[in-house]
Amino acid sequence: MTSPERHPTGSLLRWFLVASAITAAVAVRVAVKRALAPRPPETPVVNVPLVIAPAEPIRAEAQVFRTSAGTVAIAPEQPRERQAHPRTAATYRFLRAYPGAPPRIPHALRPEEFRTDACRTCHRRGGYSIRFAAYVPVTPHPERGICLQCHVGEDSLMAIPVAAADPNSRCPQCHGPSGGTPKASATLTWSTSVWPQIPATTPDQDPPAIPHDLQFRENCLTCHSGPAAVAQIRTKHPERANCRQCHLAATQGAEPFARVTTAPDSGGPS
Amino acid sequence: MSDFDRRSFLKKLGALSAATAATSVAEGMVVPADALQPPERQPAVTWKKAPCRLCGVGCGLLIGLENGRAVAVKGDPDSPVSKGLACAKGYYSVQALYGADRIKRAMVRENGKLTEVPLSKALDLVAERLKETAEKHGKDSVALYGSAQWTIPDAYLAAKLFKGGLGTNNVETSSRLYAASAMAGLQTTFGLDGAIGCYEDIDHADVFVLWDINLAETDPVLFSRMLERRRVDPAVRIIDLAPRLSRTSYAADHSLLHVPHAALAIAQGICNEIVARKWVQRDFVANHVAFRRGKTGLGNGIDADALLADEGTQASWDDFVKFISAYEPERVQQISGLSAESIRWLASLYGDPLRKVMSVWGRNVNQDVRGTWTNNVLYNIHLLVGKVASPGNSPFCTTGQPSGGCAVHDAGSLAHTLPAGVVQDGGDRGYAAGIWEVPAAKIDPRPGAPLLSMFRQLERGDLRFLWILATDPMLSLPNLDRYRKAASKGDHFIVVSEAYPTPTTDAADVVLPTAIWLEREGIYGNAERRLQHFDQIVAPPGDAIGDTAQLIEVARRLGFEKLFPYEPRAAVEQVWAEYTRFHGDPRSQLPPIADLRGRRGVLWPYVGGRETRWRYNSTYDPAADARAAYDFYGHPDHRAWIWLRPYEPAAESPDREYPFWLSTGAVLEQWGGGAMTQRIPALHHALPHAYVEMNQDDAGDLGIRNHDMVRLASRRGSVELEARVGYRSQPPRGQLFAPVFDETRPVNRLMLDAACPISGQPDASKCAVRMERVSARSSP
Repeated sequence: MTSPERHPTGSLLRWFLVASAITAAVAVRVAVKRALAPRPPETPVVNVPLVIAPAEPIRAEAQVFRTSAGTVAIAPEQPRERQAHPRTAATYRFLRAYPGAPPRIPHALRPEEFRTDACRTCHRRGGYSIRFAAYVPVTPHPERGICLQCHVGEDSLMAIPVAAADPNSRCPQCHGPSGGTPKASATLTWSTSVWPQIPATTPDQDPPAIPHDLQFRENCLTCHSGPAAVAQIRTKHPERANCRQCHLAATQGAEPFARVTTAPDSGGPS
Repeated sequence: MSDFDRRSFLKKLGALSAATAATSVAEGMVVPADALQPPERQPAVTWKKAPCRLCGVGCGLLIGLENGRAVAVKGDPDSPVSKGLACAKGYYSVQALYGADRIKRAMVRENGKLTEVPLSKALDLVAERLKETAEKHGKDSVALYGSAQWTIPDAYLAAKLFKGGLGTNNVETSSRLYAASAMAGLQTTFGLDGAIGCYEDIDHADVFVLWDINLAETDPVLFSRMLERRRVDPAVRIIDLAPRLSRTSYAADHSLLHVPHAALAIAQGICNEIVARKWVQRDFVANHVAFRRGKTGLGNGIDADALLADEGTQASWDDFVKFISAYEPERVQQISGLSAESIRWLASLYGDPLRKVMSVWGRNVNQDVRGTWTNNVLYNIHLLVGKVASPGNSPFCTTGQPSGGCAVHDAGSLAHTLPAGVVQDGGDRGYAAGIWEVPAAKIDPRPGAPLLSMFRQLERGDLRFLWILATDPMLSLPNLDRYRKAASKGDHFIVVSEAYPTPTTDAADVVLPTAIWLEREGIYGNAERRLQHFDQIVAPPGDAIGDTAQLIEVARRLGFEKLFPYEPRAAVEQVWAEYTRFHGDPRSQLPPIADLRGRRGVLWPYVGGRETRWRYNSTYDPAADARAAYDFYGHPDHRAWIWLRPYEPAAESPDREYPFWLSTGAVLEQWGGGAMTQRIPALHHALPHAYVEMNQDDAGDLGIRNHDMVRLASRRGSVELEARVGYRSQPPRGQLFAPVFDETRPVNRLMLDAACPISGQPDASKCAVRMERVSARSSP
């Protein structure tokens, strides 16, 4: 079986080997050069301070923010900035119409962000946002396709910056400086049910049950850990990670347990 | 501590930790028993199912109730439509019941001012004027304009009162404005109204082609379902085919731009390529398709007072091949602005036998002078390649404000329809008369005035009594100034049933306070033929009663007690039992109310306890002849018809004087004319006012900066809007977009009152305008 022509893959293979050799040589040279170059001073790992110091320090907070090996969320340079815009239970509730409602967007959007839905650039992993000088809350459902479907903000003209997303700074807009009856601009006579109680102190024993619905909020750590978490509901042990191993969610409307006897004379299940 | 005390203490402790969970008590702490009483306002929320009322998708919601008020919402995880998801409108929907300016009392206009009166007095007056007008000026001098947002019993009773009681067919609903071309398209191609597939198609399709529909804002939960489908299978492709870049374009895989009114030409171009490349499924076409040639040169339906009847004549495959050869992609490129290459690529997706394709369209396709034709041609693509009526292969129109999608139509509340069939058909009239127990001669064989014609009769003075329920024509009609003038002047009496003051209640002589949604029992349909029942779960404000109750009250006052024998508490159940008698045939069989109550909606036709997901497919549809895979039983020849529909130009196109195309549409946060959503603070603040979006080069040429106020003017009128550049959508040069929800900036003033001559649906979402800058930034 001889052929007057060489098999075409033969010449391809040869060229491939030559190209690979050249690439390898270049790579080795670059590597050697990099190794010999003076090394920049190693960036110190910033110990991210807490927005509001809880009664006890949160252990391993940095671990929560370690989004990939060797990466720590960027922390602000100034300690003052690190304290900016703490999230409290009051701001948390202010942004939600009722427990479980999708929160409103408390910051301005750039015009094109109304179209491009680029929220997850920041909210997928969190970290410190220089644009808003605040820690970014992390979404518990990054797999959902389109954020603006449920989360509405303010039209860009009326946009409020994060700093103003504080009920204390906005209430006077409707209620006047001294509180009281809302002005004519209030269009609703509506109120919601009370929020789950947050205990003033959490005992060390008895892991508390989960007081809220888990729909779209199954990833506990996104809201209960990290510097953007609401201080009052921040866990002391984020490193345990598997929250629902100990904290249970009650099934609503479940009947109390009652056993059904299987004794033959009791009319039990056949 | 006695044993009893200890036990009750532990019991209280247990109850407390179950109820509040987070309020834990440290072990060993001594707490007085009283301190363990739950605080007074513990969340004692109970949850009830209800379909969302704020678009035609029909998401399942769970409504949180506390002390008789709706206080919270969650997506119903058991809903086959939305699977636990909702959109912003749904999450805030319950607040729409509690607007501070709800209409709680009946009002009668006295000396030009609306004054509160007892409800019974207002109902007496409505009945008296209705009777008096019909007696004095003839039965066709009275009319009723209802809503696609009605429940089905509302629509059915309106039809019964006017067609069976008063003997006039002057009944219309806003379905005419939003969905009539979809209905006419289904009627002409398949012979029957009602979607072919269902939402489940989304979970099977490989390619989604969105025809001029910003699905991310108009039907957000359906769009999320598509994105979820793509997340599961990354090979899935979503193609946005539209006149502008929108939120949908950015989430889609491909965005293809074209000029308005081009969908029909593009679809013909795709058919041309499919035929030229021999991608036609010859077996399917030979066995299940017939060809039909219709009238051409239909005109623009301006001032037309009757719908055009077009039976068509038989045509052949060869006729079709000859006809379609005129639409080669290069020529379509000239018409549409979409490149021939893109048209060929789209055709290759439709023609690929290994991909399931779903085409989705909505109001923009339907609201066109050739809306019916465009629907026909979109079906043509699917019929040529046999991609219809099977899972994932689905031409699908999403219009259907909660009940518009073939639910309100079928209840007989359009000028030409009966609860089953049409008024022109003697058999259908006899059938209806039999169920209603009225003489067959009572039902008029002449169709009533279609929507725009109804308001032109008001203008001419032929119509002297008009009852408007659950819709806002004084904001939603095109060429708005003309019809506002018609409603404000002249010797006529207008009754408006509404929940909130609107531009339409401003024109009313009597306003009836209306219970909406959760304040009354009802049944909605949706775009996929799903019927969803909901109970009354909150009390209506003041004297408000639902539309069903209003229609019954007025009918009885007119002396139709025998026709309207329903007991107040069981009215919906009794009306439903009566209405389902119209649809006993497996082709449209309806479920009994018990099945509706127990389930998360039921897809009709519902035969022997089974829902029909894919009609005309004998595997799924019990009405289809099982001897073949498909049976298009809507037509007597048991075939789907491919219509030869030529491209004809738009009713109005940009010219030297009015150089811009203005398109209008919906935005996510607002619904319809905003009567409900504008009263919800979070939604109002998210988008308080209508705006106009433009291309940045056009803005630059006219010296317009973001947030400047500009004036748009058409041949009909003008409106001032805030300019937006590079915002929610990005139109190409020469095109503008504005939403229509804002009663303070009524964009419909600009629109042309042309209509599709076949369906009567107004071409209300595009026209030619000019634009000029008025002033600098409207606010900082």
